[in-house]
Amino acid sequence: MKRHFVTASLAGLIAATPALAHYGMIIPNDPMISQEDGRSVALTMSFSHPFEMDGMMLDTPVAFSVTHEGTTTDLLGDLQDATVMDDQGYTLDYPLDRPGTYIFAMEPQPYWEPAEDAFIIHYTKTYVTAYGDDEGWDTELGLKTEIVPLSKPFGLWEHNVFQGIVKMDGEPVPYAEVEVEFFNDGAGATAPDDLMITQTVKADADGVFTYAPPSDGWWGFAALNTADYTLPQDGADKAVELGAVIWVHFEEWTGQ
Amino acid sequence: MIRKIALAGLIAVAPIGASAHQLIVFASVDCEAVTVEAKFSNGNAVQQADVRVLDGQNNVLTTLPINTDGTVTVPLDSVDHSEGLVIEVDTGSHDNYWIVTPDDITRSCQS
Repeated sequence: MKRHFVTASLAGLIAATPALAHYGMIIPNDPMISQEDGRSVALTMSFSHPFEMDGMMLDTPVAFSVTHEGTTTDLLGDLQDATVMDDQGYTLDYPLDRPGTYIFAMEPQPYWEPAEDAFIIHYTKTYVTAYGDDEGWDTELGLKTEIVPLSKPFGLWEHNVFQGIVKMDGEPVPYAEVEVEFFNDGAGATAPDDLMITQTVKADADGVFTYAPPSDGWWGFAALNTADYTLPQDGADKAVELGAVIWVHFEEWTGQ
Repeated sequence: MIRKIALAGLIAVAPIGASAHQLIVFASVDCEAVTVEAKFSNGNAVQQADVRVLDGQNNVLTTLPINTDGTVTVPLDSVDHSEGLVIEVDTGSHDNYWIVTPDDITRSCQS
């Protein structure tokens, strides 16, 4: 097999490649905030091809919220405009008043993707734990589509497996396809083949999927399904791709 | 400053939370008092423990028994909190701490 190494920068030049996956992103400065880290978390929101570090326009989301101890708070009005990967994104500094798991979730506006002749809506979330208390790590938010973690979505070593259940309207999605991609921020990862930029696994009959990353860092999991509705574009009804996205950080193994 | 002092001292003496039932200590402040909360990682409140309140120089200011709901309240006017406070919770088999910084106290009095 002809093998060619595609660097992240080179891949950016050939971004028309249909294999590139879009990801909604919510990336905190740290997924495990200790008291020594301060009393808040800094979040960066974007829409991108994370392996290529290729940003896309993220319009003002439809919703942005945090859920903690069963209470969901609307944070949409607190987002700050920012340039992320050379395109429109948002940032937010959120105070962490109490211990526990904070789940940040974003519903973006439908993104029209002419190349796919379809809209894309990625329901995106990230779990952040504060002050050594992981209570709430398996919280299900009840989003339209969602990956519910079976592995704690923080505090994982590199090479640990991550497992989750793909859900749509609260029900598991048998054999759902889950795309997995690395956030190549400063890591300099290269792919020997375009097929390895975005890896794909399928869930089992119960909607459960498993993946073990090859390195530490942020990994995005996007379970993609077609909505049971369409949206109008150019006078025609177009399909809508619904993505359930979760971002999980794996920590560098410290042993020999 | 208080963090460095307290952490240096505590790291030397505290085999912090490596066991399966990790002790989680948190303290909030409302400008009048510090409310200490202690629970195990399984969610159960600590039933019995000593709560030591230290100043920024690691001097013990007072020691209080924890309530059976895993909390105890420390009035700010009962302790010298000018350099912040270190709250240690010691169950005998587990211990952990929370640092109340001067900024925490200042913020609580502004809100």
